[in-house]
Amino acid sequence: MNTTAQLLQIENLVLHFRTEKGSVQAVDDVNFELDFNRAVVILGESGCGKTSLSKALLRLLPRNVDRYSGKVFLQGMDVMSLEDEEFRQNIRWVEMSLVPQAAMNALNPVLKVGDQVAEPVMIHLGLSKTESLGLVYKMFQHVGVPADFVHRYPFELSGGMRQRVALAMALVTSPSLIVLDEPTSALDLLTQANIMNVLKRIKHELGTSFILITHDIATSSELADEVAIMYAGQIVETGDASDFFPAPLHPYSQMLMASVPRLRSDSDPIFITGQPPSLMNPPAGCRFAARCPYRFEKCAEEPPVFQKGKRKVKCWLHQ
Amino acid sequence: MTTATETIPSTPVSRRPAGTFLRLLKFTAARLFSLFVTVVIGVFLTILIANMGGYVDTIRRAEIREGIMVRVNSTNILDNLSAEDRLKRIEDMARLEEKRLGLDQPFMVRTVKYMSNALTLNLGRAQKMSSDSGSRTVRLIILERLAPTLILFGASNILLFAGSILIALNLSRNYGSFLDRVIVGLAPTSSAPGWFYGLFLIVLFAGVLRLLPFGGMVDAPPPPNRFDYFLSLLKHLVLPTVAIALSTLFLSTYNWRTFFLIFSSEDYVEMAKAKGLTSRDIERRYILRPTLPTIITNFALILIFLWTGAPILETVFNWPGLGRALFQAVGLFDIPVIVGSTVIFAYMLAITVFILDFVFALVDPRVKVGSGENRQ
Repeated sequence: MNTTAQLLQIENLVLHFRTEKGSVQAVDDVNFELDFNRAVVILGESGCGKTSLSKALLRLLPRNVDRYSGKVFLQGMDVMSLEDEEFRQNIRWVEMSLVPQAAMNALNPVLKVGDQVAEPVMIHLGLSKTESLGLVYKMFQHVGVPADFVHRYPFELSGGMRQRVALAMALVTSPSLIVLDEPTSALDLLTQANIMNVLKRIKHELGTSFILITHDIATSSELADEVAIMYAGQIVETGDASDFFPAPLHPYSQMLMASVPRLRSDSDPIFITGQPPSLMNPPAGCRFAARCPYRFEKCAEEPPVFQKGKRKVKCWLHQ
Repeated sequence: MTTATETIPSTPVSRRPAGTFLRLLKFTAARLFSLFVTVVIGVFLTILIANMGGYVDTIRRAEIREGIMVRVNSTNILDNLSAEDRLKRIEDMARLEEKRLGLDQPFMVRTVKYMSNALTLNLGRAQKMSSDSGSRTVRLIILERLAPTLILFGASNILLFAGSILIALNLSRNYGSFLDRVIVGLAPTSSAPGWFYGLFLIVLFAGVLRLLPFGGMVDAPPPPNRFDYFLSLLKHLVLPTVAIALSTLFLSTYNWRTFFLIFSSEDYVEMAKAKGLTSRDIERRYILRPTLPTIITNFALILIFLWTGAPILETVFNWPGLGRALFQAVGLFDIPVIVGSTVIFAYMLAITVFILDFVFALVDPRVKVGSGENRQ
């Protein structure tokens, strides 16, 4: 049914969690597309559903899932309709891999890092252990980890090295899409810059697509081809990075960008008053209305997504 | 484009730095010494307590005098002596007997001497008990009783341990299920000890239903053929094993299930799932493997813990083991047997702890024996 053969197409993706107090709408009706060899940055405050989006994509669901629906097409294949076992065999780490939040804890403390990176190769590509380790050496080179680190245990590696190992692990089966969930948030600035450089080079050399989830606007602008802004479980604006960064459209995006401190500027960084709405029972109408300085009567109704050239924005101001 | 860290030279890391052997030796010696001191203190205290701080000596002196008095009074050999001389003779005989038994030396001197004998497993002769073959050598009595105890507690412990881990893994996978809630609900049954359930089991299965034997280790007389002997042993093992199981299985399963639940929410477990590992591989390599040190420790400690219940359980089931021997010895004030059993228990405990230290270093790469480096 999908002839455009985009790499990734997400339609009406919904992920709600069941809690004692009610349903948490962590991901609510998310739509976006991503082409081959492109990087999209998903920006947003903490608790706006960014990590849940990555979990929803890889079907890493906790037990208390209330609602999980929508369509996800990977190279035209409807992955949401796959059985769990098919999904494990054909999607996880074959088409899509993940560099998790806090990659420091993502390594098993009692297995050698080389073995852990080699595992998906042995499972999905059916290579022997020696062949897999050969591939691991190659990937370690790509991300800048000394080759003899394959015999080390995670606790013998520094934070930056562990992050690189997690990156090598995501790359090792050459998936077409890698989801990076705040890959640099726990690292110092130099290491952050290093990792971003590695990502850029990999994108260039291997043609991988990235979904980079972060709240670090400055660092992410290095890599981004496209930007998606997430607020309270919804994507409120998408567009090319070159269009977005100079002139964001949605009031929330504008304020988010204004909150980045600038050098040699007298203006104080702006912060957005109030807190993001509870995802338990989000307000009717525009979810940002309560904090928005441009609020008017229309905002009581939920805004549709308006197309502005190649950009999309979910705000009545751009009707 | 190059990154700064790519220029880091890949120095070959020697996994076994020089001096490892020496360090290991030093560690082993220090560990053995500290464990030995613990055993010495434990045995010393046991000897003091078993002798009631020397009061048992007073009892034994009185027993000797009374015995001689009875012997003298039952013959007429000393009848021609004056009452004074007779008392003196009796006193002399008592002195001689005390000297023979070593009671003439001060209590502390004897205790220390006794302790050094006990620690070298030179356990001496029992005062009242004897082995089934009629020997009074404490070492023989203990060795004879050790095997049945090992059979009972070894078998039931391994069974319970494997059972509770397997059930717990299953429960942690289906947590919140009906079976899970049943096991959690039954966990308080472990507040009663094994012998308590044993009493009911004996009444029900041996007394009323007459399906299983009341106690003992094999039928009397023991079956001559090896296979029948084994079957008879199994039949006698059922009730005590079930009694132990009832008192520990549910709580231990509950514990392990919670433990596995906590560890299966680790980031690296989710990562393994994301990597597309099968749930069997995830369980084996990402849940069981990292928790192996804890599992092994627990296994060893459960073994030791179960032994502490042995005296009563073995007595209830009339099981000819070390626990019952200890129970009998306490009743008879047979100090050599009490001390002998304690020494064996103490040594077993020390050996277990010592082995654990090394097994830990084997299964957990984060533990390096005797090393002060590489700690993060």
